[in-house]
Amino acid sequence: MLLAGLLCYGGFTALCLSMDRHHAELLGRKASIAERRRFKWAGWLLLGMSLWAAVSVAGWAFGLVQWCAVLMLSVLLLVMLMPYRRRMALSLAALSLLASPIAAYAVL
Amino acid sequence: MKEGFRQAMAWLHTWAGLIFGWLLFAIFLTGTLAYFKDEISHWMQPEIPARSVPTETSLTLAQQYLEQRAANASRWIIDLPGAREPALSVRWQSAPAKPGERGQFTEKRLDPLSGAEVQGRDTQGGEFFYRFHFQLQMPYPWGRWLSTIAAMVMFVALISGIITHKKIFKDFFTFRPRKGQRSWLDGHNAVGVLVLPFHLMITYSSLVIFMTMVMPASILAAYKGDVQAFFSDVFPAANTAKVAGTPEPLLPLAPLLEKAREHWAGGSAGQVTVNNPGDTNASVVLTHNGTDRVVHEFGRAVTFSGVTGQLLAKTPEQSVPMAVAGSFYGLHMGRFADPVLRWLYFICGLASTAMIGTGLVIWLGKRQLKHAKSGVLPFELKLVEVLNIASMSGLVIAVAAFFWANRVLPVDMAERPQWEINSFFIAWGLSLLHAAWRRGRGAWVEQLALAALLFASVPLLNAVTTLHHLGNSLATGDWAMAGFDLACLGSGLFLGWAARKMQRAGQPEITGRNRQRSIPLEQEAH
Repeated sequence: MLLAGLLCYGGFTALCLSMDRHHAELLGRKASIAERRRFKWAGWLLLGMSLWAAVSVAGWAFGLVQWCAVLMLSVLLLVMLMPYRRRMALSLAALSLLASPIAAYAVL
Repeated sequence: MKEGFRQAMAWLHTWAGLIFGWLLFAIFLTGTLAYFKDEISHWMQPEIPARSVPTETSLTLAQQYLEQRAANASRWIIDLPGAREPALSVRWQSAPAKPGERGQFTEKRLDPLSGAEVQGRDTQGGEFFYRFHFQLQMPYPWGRWLSTIAAMVMFVALISGIITHKKIFKDFFTFRPRKGQRSWLDGHNAVGVLVLPFHLMITYSSLVIFMTMVMPASILAAYKGDVQAFFSDVFPAANTAKVAGTPEPLLPLAPLLEKAREHWAGGSAGQVTVNNPGDTNASVVLTHNGTDRVVHEFGRAVTFSGVTGQLLAKTPEQSVPMAVAGSFYGLHMGRFADPVLRWLYFICGLASTAMIGTGLVIWLGKRQLKHAKSGVLPFELKLVEVLNIASMSGLVIAVAAFFWANRVLPVDMAERPQWEINSFFIAWGLSLLHAAWRRGRGAWVEQLALAALLFASVPLLNAVTTLHHLGNSLATGDWAMAGFDLACLGSGLFLGWAARKMQRAGQPEITGRNRQRSIPLEQEAH
């Protein structure tokens, strides 16, 4: 569940950065169309990987339930962090992406 | 989509949400607490020790106890201790005086390590929140009907809310704090949209659980009006053989646990029922504890002969429709959840509660704006304000009062469980009076501050009245006890922060700024 959560959080941050308003708000500059497209792809890819991670660790029944739980709460955490702790929201995403290979190595 | 339709949905969302919002807030908050029902019960009965002993040992102890005390009973029911429920509970039904009558039940709690009787203080524990969540402390069946109607309204409010929300994807990540009404609306949308799968699952599944009450027509048609036949199809009760009258010693029960495990892919027995103990026709029913899978299976059990240990019966594999209903039931209850997932369930429940709460605040806030200049509210808005305060902060105080009553009321008091519940409702009633008397921001601040104080001091209260203070529970690894104290402390800190925020927001210079900003919002939100 930890791995799925890390990937979800990273994925949602990427999706968030693919949107004009949030990109400017988080990184302080305008994003080019190519950049936004790349973030979008990365975001969806990470969310897809998180589903795969959850299901392969816990099986379909438990995996899907766990995935839904981390999906909802990771994005809730991101949205609640962004206005108050912009930097922390971003560094948490970087950290979760860095930690996910370690988590993957531990559980898979 | 046509604007007229959207407006109609907005109207529906506004009024369905208001009329049932107060009740739904209470249903969701108590339901959320019920996810930790066993842990709450454990905290509320500190006399019952938390032990980790093999299930086999507990079952052997229970059998020894029952053979001494209840050898002539017609049935024994043994509830085995689990990961969350530390108590070993034994019940027995005395043989009925006349055939066809039901014998009396006696219940005792045992220490799973020594087998000695333990007397926990009399309390409803977490069961109170669980029961209140769908029975609303009303006589059967009115509470269930009311909560079923509330669930339907919740479903309507969710669907109409989704249709009303214009920019679900554009505003997906948006939350702008410190902007008065705008922030409340952002918050309402954020918890609503981001946790939407949970809201839909929990609301829809509650309707499935109440199916037999909500949609009896299909059952009545299929079973030609014989409702009892439906229930005996759904819950195939173990057909117990009659007493033969020839005494025969009962097998040791503990080895049957392992035999039962062989019949199940995973998990183990949570309850053991012995019919006609000490008779040739004794049978032992081992019921699965249901924590190994998401899909709930009603009465999944294996039955052995109590004399030879032969397999007598096994519940058949679930049919597909039963598995579908069972999966909604399982998802709603979350009995399969490990501690981490249980906490996530709890947070999701809080998010639903927060969605309802913010909705109620927005309803009033939008209408208060129109009367901001005169400063005088018409009667109906005053009423909504009082009910908002009492239903939210008042309920939180009531929950704290329930916990306090558990520790403060004398242990040997008559009708103790009832008085704990009374304290809950007295505190709630007083908060309603207080809200009516004080009104507005002052009432919010005072009630939130009181709730913060009551919750934050729970660990202290526990340390003063019992030996299970945080130092002790953390050292012995009694996580349910420690977790309860810490969760109360956390809630207290959060409520304190909310009270402070409410007080700050009330200072005139800040409201002045908010008011200017929220005027365009009023048009936008309609």
